[in-house]
Amino acid sequence: MSGAHPLHRVAIVGAAATEMARQLDTTSAEISMRAALAALDDAGLTVADVDGVAARWPGPGGTVFQPGSADWAEVFGLPLRWVCDTYPQGVPGALDAAAAVAAGLCETALVFGGQAGVMGGSAVADYTRPDNEFIACWGSLTAAQFALVAQVYRHRFAPDPEQVAAIAAAIRNAGSANPAAVMAGRGPYTAADVLASPMVAEPFRLLDLCLATEGAAAMVVTTAERARDLPQPPVAILGGGAEWHRQQYVNPPRYDEVWGLGADAAHRAFELAELSPQDVDVFELYDINTYEVVRQFEMLGLCAEGEGADYLAEAGIGIDGRHPLNADGGLLSYSHIGWGGPTLKIVEAVRQLRGTAGPGQVPNAEVALVTGAGSGAQYHNIMILGRG
Amino acid sequence: MEGLTGELEDRSLRPLTGEFWAAVNRGELVRPVCNDCGKSFFVPQFACPYCQSTNWDYQPSSGRGRVYSHTTVHRPPTPAFAAPYVLADVDVEEGWHLLTWIVDCEPEEVAIDMPVSVRFISGPDGHRLPAFAPDEAAR
Repeated sequence: MSGAHPLHRVAIVGAAATEMARQLDTTSAEISMRAALAALDDAGLTVADVDGVAARWPGPGGTVFQPGSADWAEVFGLPLRWVCDTYPQGVPGALDAAAAVAAGLCETALVFGGQAGVMGGSAVADYTRPDNEFIACWGSLTAAQFALVAQVYRHRFAPDPEQVAAIAAAIRNAGSANPAAVMAGRGPYTAADVLASPMVAEPFRLLDLCLATEGAAAMVVTTAERARDLPQPPVAILGGGAEWHRQQYVNPPRYDEVWGLGADAAHRAFELAELSPQDVDVFELYDINTYEVVRQFEMLGLCAEGEGADYLAEAGIGIDGRHPLNADGGLLSYSHIGWGGPTLKIVEAVRQLRGTAGPGQVPNAEVALVTGAGSGAQYHNIMILGRG
Repeated sequence: MEGLTGELEDRSLRPLTGEFWAAVNRGELVRPVCNDCGKSFFVPQFACPYCQSTNWDYQPSSGRGRVYSHTTVHRPPTPAFAAPYVLADVDVEEGWHLLTWIVDCEPEEVAIDMPVSVRFISGPDGHRLPAFAPDEAAR
């Protein structure tokens, strides 16, 4: 690594997640703050060290203007030098924070978020019911938007349903072994179980789709120089990039426009990292549904369009496979905490690179790939992390 | 979304999209057409996405098209929707597309590339909506 690129002058020094559950008896603000304080504690820092924040403000109190990162200055009792209110979570939030630290706009930035006390009974999460004018009137939940993309893929390539279902079974079985997962101890699942689960929006059945749960995740970014004095082995941001095809859930996603979404960002990220997708030891892919997992391997160029399900069946996605994938159980089984979900992917990658990922630890993981969003949302982002 | 018993909003008063909904209320399908580059687009935007001209008007559509993609929804986002229903992205022949439903046939009959034509229905919120149905004449 040359160290010349600004992103290579920063490091992730803290990462934490709270407990995860279908419902937590607290608020989004409190669970988010707890994740933030835990990430600072993990980093050997305190709120007094923070001068940058990327986080949504869920209220109560404060502003109703979202996302509202600056509201956290009130809670932390300190002025900030930098806030991120564009996309304050996951890969884009982490890359923005890293760029701000590298540019000297701030020295130590917190990226955090989550939800609690919002998921009620069987109702689907608010963020899965876009209220946009030409979407809401048709009852188009977000899973259905992704389904419109997957249906064209099925029509053109007819992937083996058992192979696709086996992806969900593998991720869910990994989650079953993760004591922190919402679905800990559930299963084991077979492809047949996935194919026997209730249909939600064709071709997605219940077990093809991610959870909607409660909890929070947080990470801390600072300069590589400062990282040397902190307790945790630093995690380096080797490369990253994003693609924003269009605003999500305003117009339906078109397979021909979005199946390859992320390929350009991935190309730029790997070029910056001086690595190729074959060098990735552990994949933290945004597994909103099984077809998105297939899509991302095709988008990365690890196999040809239409061959993803076949390829993954042959390569293996368990911790002993060629492409260890979401060994924490991912969004399907560990947790999907709304706007905290994208950040939770980074927390898991950091654990893998530190060697502290528990039952799902991939031996000697040195390079981790984290992704966010997907084809149905019409934006995608990628970050490559390594041992600092 | 408004309930079935609530006072229905007058959608024709909406900024940008009022004329579209007023046409739907009359049983007509219209779409924005750019007066400079001649292209149709959807959803309505203040400027044409092909040439950024703000000089565009709503013009009548033939209401004929083909299914680009479709999914049968079995678990609706709210109880207001009665599942199953077929959500679809329909390519309309003037070169624009919209999210809609395919109605007047069994969900299993819907296929990619199937010819369809517009059919106005009463939506779950009580408003008229432009759905599509199999276009037997085009088969």
